[in-house]
Amino acid sequence: MPSPPDSAAIGNALIGHLLADTELAGLMPDGVYRDVARAGKKQYVIVSLVDSVDQATYEGRAIESALYLVKAVALNNAAAVEAAAARIDQLIEDQFWPIAPGLDLMAASRVAPIGTVTELDAVDPDLRWTHRGGRYRLDVAVTYARTLAPLGLARGTDQNERVTP
Amino acid sequence: MIKTGRYGLVKWDPTGAIPPAVGLVAVISLNKWKASFKTDKLDVTCFQDVNRVYIPGMKDVSGTVSGFWNSDELALFEAADAEAPGTLELSPNTTEAFSWTGLAYMDADIDCSVDGAPAVSGTFMAAGPWTQNGGTLLARRAENKAA
Repeated sequence: MPSPPDSAAIGNALIGHLLADTELAGLMPDGVYRDVARAGKKQYVIVSLVDSVDQATYEGRAIESALYLVKAVALNNAAAVEAAAARIDQLIEDQFWPIAPGLDLMAASRVAPIGTVTELDAVDPDLRWTHRGGRYRLDVAVTYARTLAPLGLARGTDQNERVTP
Repeated sequence: MIKTGRYGLVKWDPTGAIPPAVGLVAVISLNKWKASFKTDKLDVTCFQDVNRVYIPGMKDVSGTVSGFWNSDELALFEAADAEAPGTLELSPNTTEAFSWTGLAYMDADIDCSVDGAPAVSGTFMAAGPWTQNGGTLLARRAENKAA
């Protein structure tokens, strides 16, 4: 029985989609990171999986609905953070990008904005970190075909040769 | 044996062939079905009865199927438009050869919401005799063993 595609591809594709944008790269030159940026980075985007829910049909997993936190973070540069957050929204809201074979993005939308948050640096209180972004939900159709092997009910080759993707 | 509903299946043949022929195919993108085999009970309570008394009347077969909208799968909506009944087969789990089959009329509904995948559902009602295929009642098995 074939396994469904690796869900990690959804986050990887989102990160790749953000990394590919030159405007965002100009605003956040230190890159896009999953969960935590590398040490010493001062102007970057963070992508974190907040929650994910699968929905199934009789043929197997049908929909993955993943909620991602996507935010721009910068040290002493609130203007860049605000511009980057706006660009992130343009890049995700109602946009489509390829994910992986068997995973098709159905919808991408923000479910909650994250307004500008400022915090003091843990070491030097004269330094200020600014965060801004949003929580985005990606609804992904899982299009792999599970074989209903026990009774020979293979999808795509059903009894009357009807195509069942 | 108790089985999971994860491998359930709904099949439909618009030609209404009985017994089911090769036209009976899986309806994809469904994730739930429900059937009811209720029998009407006629009240025959008489004077001096200490409680109400019923006798069985006619069995009704009806139910619902539901899942996600899939533009590659229009069987449900085509069935709703059909004037003649089709053959419906409901399997609780395809890892065993057990199902209910019969002629049915179908209705279809779709629920499209901004915050999720459009959901479809259908209701069916018998248009002919329904049969239970496979399976053995445990009580009957016990009777056979005793014999």
